[in-house]
Amino acid sequence: MFSKRARLWLGLIMAISLLSLASSCGGGPKVEDGGETPAAGNTPPPSKGDEGTITGKVSYTGTAPEAKKIDTSADAACTSKSPNLTTEEWAVKDGKVANTFVYIKDGTIDGAKKVGDYVWPAPAAVTLDQDGCHYKPHVMGVVVKQDITIKNSDPTTHNIHFTPKNNPDWNQSQPNGAPTLTHKLNVAEVLVPVKCNQHPWMKAYVAVLKHPFFAVSAEDGSFTIKNVPPGKYTVVAWHEGAGSGTEKTMEVTVAAKGAATADFAFGGTAELRGQPSSMPVVSAIEFPMVIKH
Amino acid sequence: MSRGVHRFAVLVACATFFLIIAGANVTSHDAGLATSDWPLSNGQFFPKMVGNLFWEHGHRMVATAVGILTIALAIYLQFSERRSWVKRLGWVALFGVIAQGLLGGLTVKMNLPLAVSSAHATLAQLFFLTTVSLAVFTSRSWMSPTSSVSEAGEGVSIRALCVVALAAILVQLVLGATLRHSATWDQWLPTGLLLAHVGGAIVVTLILGASALTVLSRHRHEKYLARPAMAALALLAMQLSLGLAAYITRAASPYDPQPLNPMIAVTVAHVAGGALLFATTIILTLRVFRVVRVDRQEYVLAPA
Repeated sequence: MFSKRARLWLGLIMAISLLSLASSCGGGPKVEDGGETPAAGNTPPPSKGDEGTITGKVSYTGTAPEAKKIDTSADAACTSKSPNLTTEEWAVKDGKVANTFVYIKDGTIDGAKKVGDYVWPAPAAVTLDQDGCHYKPHVMGVVVKQDITIKNSDPTTHNIHFTPKNNPDWNQSQPNGAPTLTHKLNVAEVLVPVKCNQHPWMKAYVAVLKHPFFAVSAEDGSFTIKNVPPGKYTVVAWHEGAGSGTEKTMEVTVAAKGAATADFAFGGTAELRGQPSSMPVVSAIEFPMVIKH
Repeated sequence: MSRGVHRFAVLVACATFFLIIAGANVTSHDAGLATSDWPLSNGQFFPKMVGNLFWEHGHRMVATAVGILTIALAIYLQFSERRSWVKRLGWVALFGVIAQGLLGGLTVKMNLPLAVSSAHATLAQLFFLTTVSLAVFTSRSWMSPTSSVSEAGEGVSIRALCVVALAAILVQLVLGATLRHSATWDQWLPTGLLLAHVGGAIVVTLILGASALTVLSRHRHEKYLARPAMAALALLAMQLSLGLAAYITRAASPYDPQPLNPMIAVTVAHVAGGALLFATTIILTLRVFRVVRVDRQEYVLAPA
């Protein structure tokens, strides 16, 4: 029926089909082993009961970009539940900035080991909710290997997609009424963007640290990092935007049972991605590699 | 050779063009991973088409239709076509559409790695090249050309110019596909890849412009050649304008929730324009090879 060449083509097609199917089987969520597991010698020192706090406020200098209304008409379920959804990139109220991730980046505990030399045990699971077609919370922090419970409170299907650089990419559909999903990240990374491929305006950021010394600024810009062992630290405030985010750094000393203060200010044109009426131009031009961004 | 097979081949080429537009919508809406499974969408054949799933599942449905049409065309050619190489090209088209479907599935299962997504977009253009070629090869004007023109030592070969233009457009399409699949909303412009794509546009403009103008200057009375040459020039101008508009719409609204509809419309039109320009250049090149006869002059060394 078929010529010799036609049979050859068909054979090739079948071989490629089988190879492709084999490569696509065994997919689904995977949890990588290894990563940053507390090993003997790098478990954190026991508490002496003399921990302090780092508190502060995050403010915005100048006029913050206005939140823009999001067109949710692609999914009627989103429009009916959140008719006035707006962008969350700069949540500024009375000059105070919410959703800023503040954390200890570096430092020495009690003049001994560096904070990054330890890996703290993962606390209980935290929840990331898809509610009203946006993520709650918008910014959150976890310790490596801490469970993230992902919940869908909407009457529509969501697609939660972690797009890290150092951890494996993770993408799962979650229909309405489906059971919660659990995900964990094994390698420290500040911060992992999370998006919904079903509703492209949905964005969240998850910071993964080896330690629990972090906080997210509230609506009034305030934050408190609790239970910090006495020591000298580099504290960083990270805010989304400006490509991979903008950071402000401060040196902070926490005394035994002390309360250190760290106030941060964002704003100014340097942190903006360009004015809406202009064409933003990057100062350094990189040639992208053929890998996933 | 029936006219039916030609009409059917044209239908498959048009359906492929529509499929490229559907695929461009998936990329522009950032909908490639609207569902994490393949070939089903959220475990269903016909899921509720809301949000970005409309674009991703819609693309899969159009692709399935094109796959069925290509199978039918390959079988149709086996029965109605005498030329064995055209029959084989039908099988090549079938192989292309199956490989394309598998690449599409693979890129979803692998969470859209740039290399696989770009390969998917590139193979789309190569498959389009195959279906457009089949439409040309089965046409009456190809079977029985009414004209024949000769070229004898008239400078640069039109054949060579057209082939180089075709290759330049293909490279530019690959660059464009890679650019689109590597784009992220928080990326600042211009990126290195965008500059390469702009450079590619200049190269294509020069080569394709030279090809079309050479055809028009030498054979402007030969409608069989002049029409696709003029169409190529018009499409080139349109495509350059759409490329500029795509950049402006992408760069002008950094604070807006992306992707915005004007940006989607312009970038999809830019992809569609690229495919049309490619198809027109394929037709021009094939016609040039069909009717332009190269008269080779033989030079004999004069005896001493």
